Amino acid sequence: MNEAVQSRERILNRIRIGTGSATQDAAQAAAYAALPRGYIRHGLRSADECLALMIERLREYDAEVVECTPEALADTITAQLAASGKHKFVAPPGVPSEWLVTPAWKITGFECDIDHGLTTAEIEQAEGVMTGAFCGIADSGTIVLHHSAAEGRRVLTLLPDWHLCILRASQVVETLPEYFDRCLQPPALVTWISGPSATADIEMTRIKGVHGPRFLHVILVLDQSERLTLN
Amino acid sequence: MSHAANHPVLDPTIAPPFPVAALPVLRNPQLRKNVAHAIDVIQAKRAKLVNEKTDWQALREAGSAIRAHALDHLGAYLEEFETRCTDAGGHVHWAADAAEARQIILDLLRQENASEVIKIKTMTSAEIQLNPFLEAGGVGVFETDLAEIILQLGDEEPSHIVVPALHVNRSQVREIFARRMGLENLSDDPHALTAAARTYLRQKFLKIPTAISGANFLIAETGAVAIVESEGNGRMCLTLPRTMITLAGIEKVLPRFQDLEVMLQVLARSATGERMNPYTSLWTGVTPGDGPQNFHVVLLDNGRSSILSHPVERQTLKCIRCAACMNACPVYRQTGGHAYGSVYPGPIGAILTPQLMQMQHAQSLPYASSLCGACYEVCPVKINIPEVLLDLRAQVVNQERKQGGRFFDPMYLGLRIANLLFSRAWLFHAAQWMGRIGIKLFTGKDGWIHSLPSIGAKWTQTRDLRGLPSQTFHQWWAARPKEAK
Repeated sequence: MNEAVQSRERILNRIRIGTGSATQDAAQAAAYAALPRGYIRHGLRSADECLALMIERLREYDAEVVECTPEALADTITAQLAASGKHKFVAPPGVPSEWLVTPAWKITGFECDIDHGLTTAEIEQAEGVMTGAFCGIADSGTIVLHHSAAEGRRVLTLLPDWHLCILRASQVVETLPEYFDRCLQPPALVTWISGPSATADIEMTRIKGVHGPRFLHVILVLDQSERLTLN
Repeated sequence: MSHAANHPVLDPTIAPPFPVAALPVLRNPQLRKNVAHAIDVIQAKRAKLVNEKTDWQALREAGSAIRAHALDHLGAYLEEFETRCTDAGGHVHWAADAAEARQIILDLLRQENASEVIKIKTMTSAEIQLNPFLEAGGVGVFETDLAEIILQLGDEEPSHIVVPALHVNRSQVREIFARRMGLENLSDDPHALTAAARTYLRQKFLKIPTAISGANFLIAETGAVAIVESEGNGRMCLTLPRTMITLAGIEKVLPRFQDLEVMLQVLARSATGERMNPYTSLWTGVTPGDGPQNFHVVLLDNGRSSILSHPVERQTLKCIRCAACMNACPVYRQTGGHAYGSVYPGPIGAILTPQLMQMQHAQSLPYASSLCGACYEVCPVKINIPEVLLDLRAQVVNQERKQGGRFFDPMYLGLRIANLLFSRAWLFHAAQWMGRIGIKLFTGKDGWIHSLPSIGAKWTQTRDLRGLPSQTFHQWWAARPKEAK
């Protein structure tokens, strides 16, 4: 223990000698505030162009994208699940219950376990997962999860091979800095997802699906009225 | 294993000098082809995605300024990180050198009674030679990044910091996997090879409760750690286990969460030529019910703090390990990474490695460059690598000059004489006059010099040298007709 304290002091002391200071001071805050930030903060695209870009980018990553109105969401979810050919799903506890109950469910025989403390083994058994999202970033086709109750624990969107993500148009921003502007507090947990898991480690050939979900499906809910009020 | 004689040495304290270490690669056409192919692919993708970014130079400027600022106030930001991470349930350890870091990690694993550990790719762990130490301590280590599995199972060494197995081609990967995973009928299709790795690791992810990672960024403001990856093996390692140990160089700290808005825009574009890598994860200490419930960060110095006191060299620590410099480097393209005798190859390795070694080893690396400047041009945080290379060369020369044996070294003797001659005009002219007489003795009737003695023969063995004109430039200038002015 004593040795550990010594190492800490030794390192901080070396840094102090190297930089000439090591304690927080007013100059540090002023220097931070003066850092150059001449890059683009806000995109110039219209709301429609921004959504079109988001869809284009997601498709470049081989993600499936469908658009629907808020009223048609439950039916669209059912149609997506049916088209997946999978039956056993999991969903986080904060997913609205109306997403999960449509008459078609009973006919098709879907099973959906809500994650009220599922074990890893149970999640591993699921073929697919359905979640919400915190934000979509059009410039890079990125979906951001903050792992709230509607987005689920991290393991939930990791083990199942098929991820259906429901993203509202009002959640889509154009640039990465615009996403940071939407974070009123720095989040404790974030996963930025840009297309399905991939590798290019063998001869730079891009292979989809190594360990994370191999299939990413996105339902884009066109809640434009909400977006208009936001802008 | 298969060719122990040629096995690359990446420990800078015992690695041969760059020109010697480069020879096996230069004589291996297959290896050069593998390296060139991989680099051409990344370079083309990077160029396309950087060109579409109209604010690229502004992003570089901001990235550089943020990193430089973090280093200027490194002590304060590290303490802030420590406080916030601890508040969030993490444990922060400080390791002054590689040996301390290895011991801290092994002790943590022993507390957990861990007999096996899964790892996310971390070049920092390769820097401190962690794996052999843990294996010797009785802990089985499983790399989970595809490239790292190839290296681990094939007993290969990393040759690049982003795609460490880029020197291995698909048929070599097939051979390694078939042999080590017992899959005789495996094809060399990258899809099949990737699927084999997925199957090989799936049970390990689900069963092994302890993981080790590196860190791309530490956030001082919140105590969070960020990992940038592609495959999802990182997410597996930092979500499923009970215990997570993160090894991070002290220079990895960023002041605020929001600074990622710059770093995440430049990193993937520079590293792999993607707008964004498939997965980036950020976590803060321990989150109840989500992910590892024991979280440790080991902050590693290992020579980094000594770089801070040199104003020119300090910029080396701005590096965010994107590898754009090695992809752009004409020297790396020919030699591959093993020639650099370090886990950090390419231009950044050429400046980082000797400095981490306190200039006591790897002194040949600052010369492993043509100073063309391509590395500086592509660097997303604007590290002026040629400037640091030159400064390190000066340090190496100053070191050598102090060695007694160098006094009679022909090159140093020659340079001292040149220094004497060039700093006094009358001596220069006298030497010139004598030299011209001497040279005339060897000039043939056709005005060419066909053969010179001694050192001069090195030139005339392969080519002729034109004889000197009748006047020197000075003489011609003084004697030229006035109206020609």
